Amino acid sequence: MQRRTLLKLGAASAAVLLVAGGAAALLQPGLAGGVLSPSGREVFSGVGRAVLDKTLPADEGARQIALNGLLGRIDVLVQALPHHAQGELSQLLALLASAAGRRALAGLNQPWHQASVADIQQSLQDMRLSGLALRQQAYGALHDITAGAYFSDPASWALLGYPGPMKI
Amino acid sequence: MSQLKDPIREGLARGWKVMGGALAQAPDIIKCDVVIIGSGAGAGVTAELLAKAGLQVVIVEEGPLKSSSDFNQKESEAYPSLYQESAARKTEDKAINILQGRCVGGSTTVNWTSSFRTPGSTLKFWQERFGLGGYTTQALALYFAEVEQRLNITPWLVPPNENNDLLRKGAAKLGIPASAISRNVKGCWNLGSCGLGCPTNAKQSMLVTTIPAALDKGAQLLTETRAERFELANGRVTALLCRSLGAHGGSASGAVKIVARHYVLAGGAINSPAVLLRSQAPDPHGVLGARTFLHPVVMSSSVFAQKVEAWNGAPQTIYSDHFLETQAIDGPIGYKLEAPPLHPVIFASTVPGFGQGQHDLLKSFPYNHTLLALLRDGFHDESRGGQVKLRSDNSAVLDYPLTDYVMEGGRRALLSMMEIQFAAGAKQVLPLHEMAQPYTSWAQARDAVNALPMKPLLTKVVSAHVMGGCGLAGSERQGVTRPDGVHWQLENLSIHDGSLFPTSIGANPQLSVYGMVNRLAQGLAARLSGRSVTLA
Repeated sequence: MQRRTLLKLGAASAAVLLVAGGAAALLQPGLAGGVLSPSGREVFSGVGRAVLDKTLPADEGARQIALNGLLGRIDVLVQALPHHAQGELSQLLALLASAAGRRALAGLNQPWHQASVADIQQSLQDMRLSGLALRQQAYGALHDITAGAYFSDPASWALLGYPGPMKI
Repeated sequence: MSQLKDPIREGLARGWKVMGGALAQAPDIIKCDVVIIGSGAGAGVTAELLAKAGLQVVIVEEGPLKSSSDFNQKESEAYPSLYQESAARKTEDKAINILQGRCVGGSTTVNWTSSFRTPGSTLKFWQERFGLGGYTTQALALYFAEVEQRLNITPWLVPPNENNDLLRKGAAKLGIPASAISRNVKGCWNLGSCGLGCPTNAKQSMLVTTIPAALDKGAQLLTETRAERFELANGRVTALLCRSLGAHGGSASGAVKIVARHYVLAGGAINSPAVLLRSQAPDPHGVLGARTFLHPVVMSSSVFAQKVEAWNGAPQTIYSDHFLETQAIDGPIGYKLEAPPLHPVIFASTVPGFGQGQHDLLKSFPYNHTLLALLRDGFHDESRGGQVKLRSDNSAVLDYPLTDYVMEGGRRALLSMMEIQFAAGAKQVLPLHEMAQPYTSWAQARDAVNALPMKPLLTKVVSAHVMGGCGLAGSERQGVTRPDGVHWQLENLSIHDGSLFPTSIGANPQLSVYGMVNRLAQGLAARLSGRSVTLA
């Protein structure tokens, strides 16, 4: 993965990258073998809890099963992405999983697995409305992948009131 | 899996010459009369006509060969297998998501069947500004009529689904004309799954019409094979270098070299200019890949008391051109209104925000009605479209800056759509913008949208219509391609796809591609074979 690729995410992101640490290459990649690495899973577990807060089952056990299902579906989605998109996503997740990157990019002080849903939602909201293109782009990727992957599973369709395709 | 007949599997059983993917491996070198890059709207029409003229044709398609037996109406399978970049192709700054096909049949396999002839106002602009005097409504009429007959393009006489009827009703209340959309279908089941591959073969895509016709006449098809670049010498193409792809299009393996008398580039806008960029094709005037247009789309989502079920029934059967026709083509940007179908993945990833607000919107799915506006880009100095570039790995990317001129059109379009939705009886309306809220009255919505910053990444912008980048022009200073479809600097290369258009079309472009390429390909067939052919 090239640091150059990440820079292409947006020229305005240079400041964030400097803060986040010039050693992006030393960070643990967010993807490994075409699927989420442990650090990638940590980021998406936190984002999943926050984005799908009211949509996930309320019961803690069922919630964890649903989150694991989400991570599995994100793996499937990621595998179908072209090489360049996998590279960018891997770098984004690597940054977000590092302490400096998490603070600079997401504005989140605690690690993803320790942060509350409210704190992660506040971070997402700050990224969403940020003046920095890189932070907005990161929000877009995290939001769209999480919501799209969750509802790719027919088991999630009952919540939408969607009966599934017509049998032919 | 569908129990219906599958014309592709039947054709393979009859002995069609199809290679690549799980089928037979392609040889290292292939010689033929014409190689066609791509298998979508322009490629399909070209393949049928050239094969009919008795020419040996090879079709090279990057995506897989999938057919009705595979089409199970599920987004989780359709997006990765049938779309470019898993339906998540984005412009360089990530501000626009682009839906484009990547399979045999190209975007025609996954489009929503909307069929419009090229508007006369668009052609007039091309005549006046791009030296395309031969591109008149009258001159093209015969060619449109032929493809309309071949692909059964007729007015859709079935009553619109609720999703489209709301556009008709809301517009009528405001005195805005709206009409029915013609569709390329035969025996349509009204399922609403066009975007996921037609499981009943009713959609008259290239997959079930021209490509099978060409294969029946002996054409060869190389699937899951990427056209990488041309070899060039002395103002001519001397070979096309391709590569067979692995299962996910990532790991490249076997090289295939194709040597032909003539080459036809029809990989679609973005990919066609990229092949020429990788080939370092001559571009003395710096026009290659420039003026690439998208019909940038903004959307307004609304909730009704009654069920809408926007997934159900033929998609996009009603449209309004009121906001294209009531202003000058080169004035403030105009827009076309349509009602897109909704399915779970595309709906959920488009619903903005998170937490309670997102949850409420997700639960409104059966009651949700979304309108979209296609902004007619390319007719104004402040709407010059985007530039196709190559990444360091040689893959294509489109840099498309969303100018204030375009985005102010987006604001007017959001206002128009919201007013129509309230007029149709919407309980609440949400323009798709990260700073917007659901609004319960027109006055509240209007004031809010008038105050929104219309900026990229804040405003949700998508596209399903990529056009331009190898533009037609009457002089080589203005475009890549001559009026007869031949490259200005490479005499045995034709370009036959949506990348030809010097501006956007101002309507869903599939029929524009079919009609114009029908004329270009008839001319090419006559030049190469001395025979006069037409579509059946």
